[in-house]
Amino acid sequence: MMNGGGGQKKRGTRIEPFRHRVETDPKFFDKSWRKLHDAIREIYNHNASGLSFEELYRTAYNMVLNKFAPQLYEKLTENMKEHLEDMRTCIDAAQGGLFLEELQRKWNDHNKALTMIRDILMYMDRTYIPTNKKTPVFDHGLELWRDTIVRSPTIQSRLSDMLLELIHSERTGEVINRGLMRTTTKMLMDLGLSVYQDDFERPFLEVSASFYSGESQQFIECCACGEYLKQAERRLSEESERVSQYLDVKTHEKITTVVVNEMLANHMQRLILMENSGLVNMLVEDRYEDLTRMYTLFNHVPDGLTTIRSVMASHIKDTGKSLVTDPERLKDPVDFVQRLLNMKDKYDNIINVSFSNDKSFLNALNSSFEHFINLNNRSPEFISLFVDDKLRKGVKEANEEDLETVLDKVMMLFRYLQEKDLFEKYYKQHLAKRLISGRAASDDSERSMLVKLKTECGYQFTSKLEGMFTDLKTSEDTTQGFYASTSSELLADAPTISVQILTTGSWPTQTCNTCNLPPEIVSVSEKFRAYYLGTHNGRRLTWQTNMGHADIKATFGNGSKHELNVSTYQMCVLMLFNSSDVLTYREIAQSTAIPAADLKRCLQSLALVKGKQVLRKEPMSRDIADDDSFFVNDKFTSKLFKVKIGTVAAQKETDPEKLETRQRVEEDRKPQIEAAIVRIMKSRRVLDHNSIMMEVTKQLQPRFMPNPVVIKKRIESLIEREFLERDKTDRKMYRYLA
Amino acid sequence: MCTPAAGRGRVRLNVGGRVFETTTATLASAGRDTMLGAMLDASWNASHDDAACGGGGSAAAEYFIDRDPACFAVLLDLLRTGGLHVPRGVPEATLYREALYYGLLDRVRAARLGDFDGDRLRLAASVPGCAPGDGTAVRAAPDGGCCVAHGGAVRVYNWMLEERRPVYYPGHAPVNDAAYLDAATLLVAARERPGRLGDDGGVAAFSALTGGLRHRFRVAHDRQPRSFTAGALTFDDGGCSFFASCKGRFNEYGIGVWDANTGEQADFFYEPPGCALGDADRLQWLDGTGTLMVATMFPRTDSSFISLLDFRDKSVVWSWSDVGTPASLEDKHAVHAVVMEDGRSVCVINQYDDLGFLDLRSSAGGVRWRSRSKLATSGKTKALVSEEVCYPKLATYGGQLFASTGDTVSVFSGPDHVLTSTLRGGQGGAICDFSIGGDRLFALHSEENVFDVWETPPPAII
Repeated sequence: MMNGGGGQKKRGTRIEPFRHRVETDPKFFDKSWRKLHDAIREIYNHNASGLSFEELYRTAYNMVLNKFAPQLYEKLTENMKEHLEDMRTCIDAAQGGLFLEELQRKWNDHNKALTMIRDILMYMDRTYIPTNKKTPVFDHGLELWRDTIVRSPTIQSRLSDMLLELIHSERTGEVINRGLMRTTTKMLMDLGLSVYQDDFERPFLEVSASFYSGESQQFIECCACGEYLKQAERRLSEESERVSQYLDVKTHEKITTVVVNEMLANHMQRLILMENSGLVNMLVEDRYEDLTRMYTLFNHVPDGLTTIRSVMASHIKDTGKSLVTDPERLKDPVDFVQRLLNMKDKYDNIINVSFSNDKSFLNALNSSFEHFINLNNRSPEFISLFVDDKLRKGVKEANEEDLETVLDKVMMLFRYLQEKDLFEKYYKQHLAKRLISGRAASDDSERSMLVKLKTECGYQFTSKLEGMFTDLKTSEDTTQGFYASTSSELLADAPTISVQILTTGSWPTQTCNTCNLPPEIVSVSEKFRAYYLGTHNGRRLTWQTNMGHADIKATFGNGSKHELNVSTYQMCVLMLFNSSDVLTYREIAQSTAIPAADLKRCLQSLALVKGKQVLRKEPMSRDIADDDSFFVNDKFTSKLFKVKIGTVAAQKETDPEKLETRQRVEEDRKPQIEAAIVRIMKSRRVLDHNSIMMEVTKQLQPRFMPNPVVIKKRIESLIEREFLERDKTDRKMYRYLA
Repeated sequence: MCTPAAGRGRVRLNVGGRVFETTTATLASAGRDTMLGAMLDASWNASHDDAACGGGGSAAAEYFIDRDPACFAVLLDLLRTGGLHVPRGVPEATLYREALYYGLLDRVRAARLGDFDGDRLRLAASVPGCAPGDGTAVRAAPDGGCCVAHGGAVRVYNWMLEERRPVYYPGHAPVNDAAYLDAATLLVAARERPGRLGDDGGVAAFSALTGGLRHRFRVAHDRQPRSFTAGALTFDDGGCSFFASCKGRFNEYGIGVWDANTGEQADFFYEPPGCALGDADRLQWLDGTGTLMVATMFPRTDSSFISLLDFRDKSVVWSWSDVGTPASLEDKHAVHAVVMEDGRSVCVINQYDDLGFLDLRSSAGGVRWRSRSKLATSGKTKALVSEEVCYPKLATYGGQLFASTGDTVSVFSGPDHVLTSTLRGGQGGAICDFSIGGDRLFALHSEENVFDVWETPPPAII
């Protein structure tokens, strides 16, 4: 509109410029808004087909261009609120189960309308909204929906009650409309995370907590542990499926925590320790499936695994303790160790299969074994006996690979031993026996066992054992050398001997009085002695007659001929019968000079073992008295040409022997302890008593657990010998004397 | 019965009387959140298909748009090709207005500007200012706009170089520096004037769109809020906090740190003796080391002082000063400094336009001046009587070093900083400040308040 502005004329003529006053139509806003208002009504009425988007967009554009944006925004808010009020009335009116559906329908309508309204007002969204820090139209529409509908007093509680009720009925096994649930929770999420959390998630978690607390109470009264855990697992998977079906992903962690707390954490002790079905039962009965379930479930619970672990450890300790202290078991060392191995296998399997090879569980297993194995101080001996048994029989019953695995397992047990030096002692004895009697089944297996020990304990541990192997090898060469160098006439008719030269120190030799050998043997052995001392200077040979063995040909009175495989002692006894028919015990003892215990044992094996009675005894009693007489059994028969006469041997140590070994071990430890003390003091110069104790124990632990009392004695002895002295001011301090 | 092929793919638009025919795909490429995208959306065409089918005749839908056809042709071309070609006779302002109507302004902006390259810059515009007196600083906005600070006002321009409502510091305090927190938020540092009590000077945030004051950043010493003069401004790498050199009334000199999100003071680095911090001309954050370069230069002070501050343990980790150096005959002084992008050296320039480098990795050793025979000024006869001295300034961007010398901006490239381009704009005399950002370089001239806008054209197609 243009108005010609009239200028006032005062003096003269002056042409004033037109004053352009552009006036907008005063009704412009109302007209334009009316148009938009009607369009919005049509949109909400699903009647948008007649509308021209271009026209509406242009209208809104012009309103913003003419600076009516604030009013437009205000009017829009007002108008949308009215529409939403109408919707709320409809939703309120919906009955029962239709409520959610109605809400859903209206929500869809509103969303669709909102999209279209946003389209119309796009220009305002781009220009007016950012410069004035207003909420964009779409988000504004959602806020209005939230405030007018979702948070209206009539709907808010009804909605959340409805949702929770549906979830409850699904938990009790009914089928609900999950699609509707999903769209409803989706609506809450669309309205913002806080709406979802405040209006739904929080009450949902609370209701769930009380539901599961009730359910778990009920179950725990009547269910066994395995059953209960199955139930808990099922509930957990149900909940996570629920989340994936119609809840927000972030709820997953929260609801899992709730279920875990209510069903597991609150009843943890009771479940794990449940009588007749708890963890201990599962372990005993190898119920892998239940154990796996328990592990995975309690993995969620803080301290859950720790509890399982400690219960398992104490169970292992208990069963282990009853195993190693059972006097019945001590009778058969091989069986004893086999049982230990079986037990180890069992728990290794459980941990592997059910506890996903958890390192901490393995550690607990190891420390438990270490604990109980050392409760029995004969364990080192038994383990060595077990190895002895395996290596002696070796190939006979299993191939070498199997033997390897058995030996590997034994090494596991060996690792648990605290008194490794005791084991070494026994192992040496048993090895010596095997080697000398030639009963080592396989040289390879022996050596592989040595390598294992070496890798476990170091060179020092096995150097003497290796020396034993070397001795045997050189002995063979020496024997060959002896026969090669000595002319055959000299040895004609003389029995063949094979001498094993054992280095003193490497072998567990007992000092024993040499018995009187038969003259035939004496002559050849003296020749050998001459040969040996001739080739080696400054050595001394002592015959260990208690360890040898011999093959002798015997012709019995009935004409049967046999080759007898006997020990050296037995040979000495039998050779006596070449010259006389009947001999009393006393006569035998006098002429052979074999120690009484050994002689008795060897006579028993010659005269009393069924089927191998080379001699006969008068009277026919088990025990041997001085006056008992022996004579050759002329009726001796055997299916075999070669007859092996065993020695009635005590495999297991007898009590006095045990005591002796123990004493020897203790004696051996002394220098080791002293060496450790000196090593430590040499580097530290001054140290207090407790620290020495600690350091020494630390240094020697790989071999044995030194007794504090012994350490103290050693220190005193070192002080006496002036390696150390007590500090003059502080008596607890020791000082190293160079 | 719908005829699918012709009807679905093609669309006919009558824009202001001129008919355009295009495909729905082309229009949809504008995006759902544009006017064209919305117009074609199914929710607005529920009846259209029915009508078309019912009518049976014309298969392609026709829309009428009551806008200028010439501009629409340009925008349709943009949607089709992705390139912007503005024929003569279409004023840019009109095109921008139309683009805003259709919601395509961002696309137009993206198509107009190529990636910034100092060697391919073209003078795009010279914008005259109307402010009295000299401008102090020009700052580029991240979206391609800029602001010019002078006296008590900051004039703000959007990327179309239309002026927005200017920003006035409360009390019209003289502005020392400005910095864009984001495209919509401007930080302004202002000087405290003597004689005024309390609320004067300091740092404040303004809306770059409306010019409204958003927040004033306070400084407290011993929990006592104090007024102060803020000098240079800069941000750390995340844009979470910003730094300003501060001079308090009671000798509280140092560098203040504020959290850009909460607006609270986060830290204050008090000036240690022998270090000039509160007067600093230039601050620069070093991403790699997490330190702040503070440069206090001649002629604001008698000597130049550059230091690196580590706020984590409140220490000066590196510093350089020309106090001790013997005065040469020419009396050269470093007048501006910038940390090179590799973070290993500081580049300085003296009043005779010589470049020099300081090694940040060793604390010994002075400036290595480059013997450069006035390359930048060789081409022109330098006005002997320059009324005002504009000291040179430095900036780095995208591996290139920029130096303003006289009325020219020189561009140096490569590891040895070889002079590769010189930018000389229109009138306006010497350049007193320049700034790079939003793919543009803005150079503010000392006279007439003119600022030149340099931008990189889109790369050639073939």
